[in-house]
Amino acid sequence: MTERERLIEEAAGAWRPRGAAGVRAHPAWADLDAAGRREAFEVARTQRRLEAALDAEGLSSTARAVLARIHGAQ
Amino acid sequence: MPEPVTAAADEVLLALIGAGDATAFAAWLAGAEDRLRGSLRSFAERVDVEAVMQEALVRVWQVAPRVTADGRPEPLLRLAIRIARNLAVSDLRSRRFEPVDAEALERLAADAEVFAPGPDRWRDPLLLRAIEECRRRLPEKPALALRVRLANEGADPDARLAERLGMRLNTFLQNVVRARRLLADCLRKRGIDLALELS
Repeated sequence: MTERERLIEEAAGAWRPRGAAGVRAHPAWADLDAAGRREAFEVARTQRRLEAALDAEGLSSTARAVLARIHGAQ
Repeated sequence: MPEPVTAAADEVLLALIGAGDATAFAAWLAGAEDRLRGSLRSFAERVDVEAVMQEALVRVWQVAPRVTADGRPEPLLRLAIRIARNLAVSDLRSRRFEPVDAEALERLAADAEVFAPGPDRWRDPLLLRAIEECRRRLPEKPALALRVRLANEGADPDARLAERLGMRLNTFLQNVVRARRLLADCLRKRGIDLALELS
């Protein structure tokens, strides 16, 4: 796996750093060029569709991350 | 699997979510996420869409009690798109992109496909069976990497997940890629193109 492929795959994941102002960009996303960012977007879209299809409630890791944050705040 | 959100269910769903029903919000998320992501494609080069989406969706939940149905379809999706685009433009401006760039990108974000009905293949037993069969065929390590990433719900960076599995980061990510490709190939052999079937 090349450095570029690693950055795309990390940026396509659902983990994001969080600060006082909210969710921040993934450090790997910041290191990608424009073409790499477009690719990360498309990989993330496919990945989320797969995740939702594999989940009993039809939820992707993005949806799960949002719900975890909501439940954590309640 | 959730039932797809129909126009008739909009008001009921909105009322439930506004009253703080997280299960109803989850059902709405299942039908709205992909369309929200698609609406942000034009920002993908300059804004981390995943970060914008997560922040926007949390804000939708926070303001939902104040949202009222206006007779038009998909009030929450329209709100989510507006919040997400505002966040994206705000991020662009904070990084000193020219306002005209931000406005041009916002115009590029087309609405046309976004308000098409949500995924309605969830109820198709053939599709669900094919996905389950393909998942069962995954080799052990790709299946494990995929499962761990999913179960983590975006709580930890990939490096930490890899460490827990005793894998190097590259190995972990290679397994995630392999799982995705094997699943897509397996489904394609059954005549299922994920980009079409689940969009």
